[in-house]
Amino acid sequence: MINFLQNTGAALKDWFIALLNGWGVPDEWSRLIGDIFAWAIGAAWGIIVIMLAALVFIYLERKVAGYIQSRLGPTRCGPAGIFQSFPDALKLLLKEDIVPEDADKLLHLLGPIAFFIAGTLAFIVIPWDQGKTTALGVDLNIGVLFVTGVGSLTMAGIIMGGWGSNNKWSLLGAIRGAAQMISYEVPMLLALLCIVMQAQTMSLTGIVENQHGGLFSWNVIRPWLWLPMVLYAISAVAEVNRTPFDLPEAESELVSGYHTEYSGMKFALFFLGEYGNTYLVAIIFTVLFLGGWQSPFGNPDPLHLPGVLWLLGKSFAIVLVMMWIRWTLPRLRVDQLMGLAWKLLIPAGFLSLAVMTAVILLGWA
Amino acid sequence: MPETTRRPQSAWELLTDIVGGVVSVIKGHGVTLKNLFRKKVTDQYPYRHHPELEWHPQPGYRGDFALIADAERPGGTRCIGCMACANTCPVVAIHICAEGKGKERHPQQFYIDAGLCMYCWMCVEACPVGALTMTRDYHNVEYTPDKLIRDLDDLKRRGEGIAEPEVPVPADKTSMASARKKPAAE
Amino acid sequence: MTEFTPGTSEERLVNMGPQHPSTHGVLRVALRLDGEKVLGADPDIGYLHSSMEKIAEKLEYRQYVSYSDRFDYLNAMGNEFCYVRAVERLLGVEVTPRCEHIRVIMAELNRIASHLLYFGAISLDTGATTPFLHTFRERELCLDLFEWASGQRLLYHYFRIGGLRNDLPDGWADKLYQVLDLLPQRFEEYDDLLTRNRIFVGRTRDVGAVSADQALSYGLTGPSLRACGVPYDLRKLDGYSIYPELEFEVCVEQGGDCYSRHLVRTRELRESVKLIRQALDKLPEGEVNVPLPRKLKPEPGEVYERVESPRGEVACYLVSDGSEKPWRMHWRGPSFYNLSALDLMCTGHWMADVVAIIASTDIVLADVDR
Repeated sequence: MINFLQNTGAALKDWFIALLNGWGVPDEWSRLIGDIFAWAIGAAWGIIVIMLAALVFIYLERKVAGYIQSRLGPTRCGPAGIFQSFPDALKLLLKEDIVPEDADKLLHLLGPIAFFIAGTLAFIVIPWDQGKTTALGVDLNIGVLFVTGVGSLTMAGIIMGGWGSNNKWSLLGAIRGAAQMISYEVPMLLALLCIVMQAQTMSLTGIVENQHGGLFSWNVIRPWLWLPMVLYAISAVAEVNRTPFDLPEAESELVSGYHTEYSGMKFALFFLGEYGNTYLVAIIFTVLFLGGWQSPFGNPDPLHLPGVLWLLGKSFAIVLVMMWIRWTLPRLRVDQLMGLAWKLLIPAGFLSLAVMTAVILLGWA
Repeated sequence: MPETTRRPQSAWELLTDIVGGVVSVIKGHGVTLKNLFRKKVTDQYPYRHHPELEWHPQPGYRGDFALIADAERPGGTRCIGCMACANTCPVVAIHICAEGKGKERHPQQFYIDAGLCMYCWMCVEACPVGALTMTRDYHNVEYTPDKLIRDLDDLKRRGEGIAEPEVPVPADKTSMASARKKPAAE
Repeated sequence: MTEFTPGTSEERLVNMGPQHPSTHGVLRVALRLDGEKVLGADPDIGYLHSSMEKIAEKLEYRQYVSYSDRFDYLNAMGNEFCYVRAVERLLGVEVTPRCEHIRVIMAELNRIASHLLYFGAISLDTGATTPFLHTFRERELCLDLFEWASGQRLLYHYFRIGGLRNDLPDGWADKLYQVLDLLPQRFEEYDDLLTRNRIFVGRTRDVGAVSADQALSYGLTGPSLRACGVPYDLRKLDGYSIYPELEFEVCVEQGGDCYSRHLVRTRELRESVKLIRQALDKLPEGEVNVPLPRKLKPEPGEVYERVESPRGEVACYLVSDGSEKPWRMHWRGPSFYNLSALDLMCTGHWMADVVAIIASTDIVLADVDR
């Protein structure tokens, strides 16, 4: 399927450039517009992935939560309720879109859109399989930077939504979200920096290829990368606002935080964006530490499974662990959240950076 | 401003705090993992797939009302319209209109407002002839409040097949058989 | 638009409730916030006022028992206990020993049910959803027992003046023994999941602390007071009913903060299990009811009867003028006094602490407003 999409995408791009040339557009302009067109298709691919992932994850989340809490979770829609997400999605589509009086209507509208787009964009550079770096063959040589940069844009959506809702709770949630995002970006980047030093490249494909050769060459096995791994895991959970770091939403404190005043499709965009982000950090974690598309039994894969299956399987496992964490832990307070980031994680990040430097200098990497 | 953050006094304290915190968090995950595989307790009301999941109230459950039919008078009830239940009701949810004298006195109208009732069981206790009872039927939900007012026909219909009023504990068993001393489990 | 001056901050009034997920009913707290710091918390009550005290003046003594369930609905047995004790003292009636034992069993079982609900509520308010459902799972076992004995799951009307609605049903005690065996294991599980969790400890320790003097001056009772180091437990102090014959410990903690209050309650859960086991072991035989006339007409006089509810001292003040109905009745609802210290507890803390503090005082809004 990846192959098909990739080929279709490239073919579409070529067709579009030819079309523009036929209209008399200068060649360099048509190439630029063609690139933008290709990126749009890539974004559409991201949206499809988010939609599908969200449908699966919403069901999984509810089922896991139910089982952990001695409940059954959804049971009514299809066998064991597996189609539950579809009526839920339909309900969100059909619900009335309510904009509060005196709200900043433009920002209220743009908030969820910005949030969703920011969550989607990063999917462009995911290396899904060997040689098929992305849906459109866009292998950014600064993939790590792109993912973190675009991923933190979700904060803009949160702030727009929180401010535009004209609600004190939403505003508090938005401010919390911004502070949290800024704080946890730092340890996350420090952790990423260690990986970049290990792989000697910022391209996600390069990082995966650096881990070829089975389970024992994955980054998760390298002891000097354990600390960065923990740092990345914690800051990734904080980055996607899941318990125990769900302060921007904080249902019991801020009602629902920045999306208190949203309903219908706008709420669905926030919801989808959140699940998309969750999936994104799970994939990035897989790429960084669990060898991405690589099989744990060595390269080439003795089982001859497509790499994308390995990637999906590993990232699903990571998502399940995130659900497990979510349904176990209480929420931190805002000062503890900041304290954890600035007093513990960032010094630990510098420490791991130093360790990584030493490892490289000693030639162990 | 109260101090809410305890600052570690030494590096050792900080370290033990971190390690202890991580251990406590991992223990919590152990509990949730254990519960993931434990038997689920959900009662899928009203869609029960197994008869044993059906919830059966115990005897003496205070559910919806019924008037018990009089065996000697077909179509009639045991009620003698003595107003004892109506008088004892703390929320005045019972209204009775009875005609006749002595043994021949029977209710013409009998209303119980189930929406007003607080299911305290005092009317059942007050009834001298054992005519009024509460059944173990707990599906007493209606779409509009006025349907919650049970009238005489309604109460008779609910009483069909009930021979004696609901009793919490059969009279011959109220003695010491109920709670035997048992040694505490080791 | 107010002019923005760098380096200053603006005070902001935020209405927390009455429609807020963590106010345990319909409580409105007017929070004055500076950013997320609380400058003052002003509880606004009265949304659930139900004129419990006036109703009592219109009803006969027996009819009111099921009303006494309804103000602190999580402790229905305890309230009935308080009310029937007050009326019995007014009448000069002694109930049978078996009845006293069953009453204590029920009151303690209700304390367990109430504390389990508290446990779930504070976990929910600090952001953990799972302990809430786990405690409800075990609370359901207690409610099953109540339903079996009294016919209802929440508002029991089980205690009657001069006795009980009925004796314990067959097999009830065996079932209770099973539950008592299960509960302590589950309490350990909850503690692993929440009480000892470092995040939860961080959220509640040193939060909402009151000193013993402050607690006494505000009239706090129950776990809120015992968390400040004051061993004030009416079961020990007054020694009413059969409590003097039972061995139990008054749970006292020193911190006075949310975590101490939480610890007091988690320890009380275990003490209640012990109490029930003792009372059940020495449950005497005999009747549960003493015969009383149909119309209860106590001598003119007044009585103040208090018992230890899960939330503190619940007390009933009854004045009789010799008629079938009380001339005046007053409830001392423990939640009302515990809530009065909210401003003291919250000021200077974070907004997120307010929900933890409200949860840790374990208020029932129907009890506050009565």
